[in-house]
Amino acid sequence: MHEMSLVQGLLTQLNELAREHNKEKVISVCMEIGPLSGVVIDSFQFGFDILAKDDVLTRDAQLIIESPPAIYRCFGCGMEVEVVQRPESCPDCSETLFSPQGGDDLILRQVEME
Amino acid sequence: MCDACGCDLKPEHTHDSKVIEVHQSLLAANTAMAVKNREHIEKMGAVAINMISSPGSGKTTLLEKTIEALGDTIRIGVIEGDIETDRDAQRIRAKGVPVIQLTTGGACHLDAAQIHKGLHLLEKEEGGAELDILFIENVGNLVCPATFDLGEHHRLVLVSVPEGPDKPAKYPKAFHSSQVFIITKIDLLPYFDFPVEEAKAEALQLNPNLLVMDLSATSGEGFDQWLDYLRDLCRKRS
Repeated sequence: MHEMSLVQGLLTQLNELAREHNKEKVISVCMEIGPLSGVVIDSFQFGFDILAKDDVLTRDAQLIIESPPAIYRCFGCGMEVEVVQRPESCPDCSETLFSPQGGDDLILRQVEME
Repeated sequence: MCDACGCDLKPEHTHDSKVIEVHQSLLAANTAMAVKNREHIEKMGAVAINMISSPGSGKTTLLEKTIEALGDTIRIGVIEGDIETDRDAQRIRAKGVPVIQLTTGGACHLDAAQIHKGLHLLEKEEGGAELDILFIENVGNLVCPATFDLGEHHRLVLVSVPEGPDKPAKYPKAFHSSQVFIITKIDLLPYFDFPVEEAKAEALQLNPNLLVMDLSATSGEGFDQWLDYLRDLCRKRS
């Protein structure tokens, strides 16, 4: 369950941002978690719910998670398919090998603080 | 949607607040440390291989046999990662190569900061400062280690015959992010239902660029291809 340590890293970063911008409370945190990031969104949310409560700064913070689709490039014809789950075969040439492009991001996009 | 900042918050959301655009990976600190580790490893003269697998798939045994086969011609160093105990490090030390044990104390993966410490400790071991190959044996876990760049040059994912052939499909991240996939313990194939070619094809579907091998560290079958791959890595390193 590496999501816990990732949430700890996020909370550290939020503390640094609050200090830098002279803010006392985090209202919302917007994260982008790609389908190939190796992070389970429910576990990340669970970790956040537990760990954020321990800190006055993040106690009432809302976590918003967006998960954009990944792009799979067909190994045969190079066609790119944008989907959440790996396609079974290429809609164009029926090739079954794909190489994923991106989709592994784990990004802190935006924080709202006051 | 909120008009002021474009977020999805509820209407009671106030705007005495400040929206900070961060757009930074949560792994940024780990990745920055991994970049430093890679430079450090290259200064030691080495190419680093991060070994990822479930517990008990034969990582340590593969290392023992590899050291027996190549230890006279290639300078090998090992960083062992485990939750507890230094048993793996003891096994490697018995083979006469520099090794250090990192115990994570419960954490399910190694991260770049731990490897940074590990590199400094390894350099203090006899023969640990100048290496050809550095093996990093990650904590036995096919899930979490796949997310963390340690500063390795190649990532190796292992699955043993008794574990079954469906690991690539079930744990895709480890296979997406690796360069090499090794099926271990093939001497046990007569006793298990493990269609080797199907498992290889499934892994290649996830990552067509994978180099796939199957071997048994016990019987030695398929071991030459593995040793050739390592010799080749040493030759190609800059």
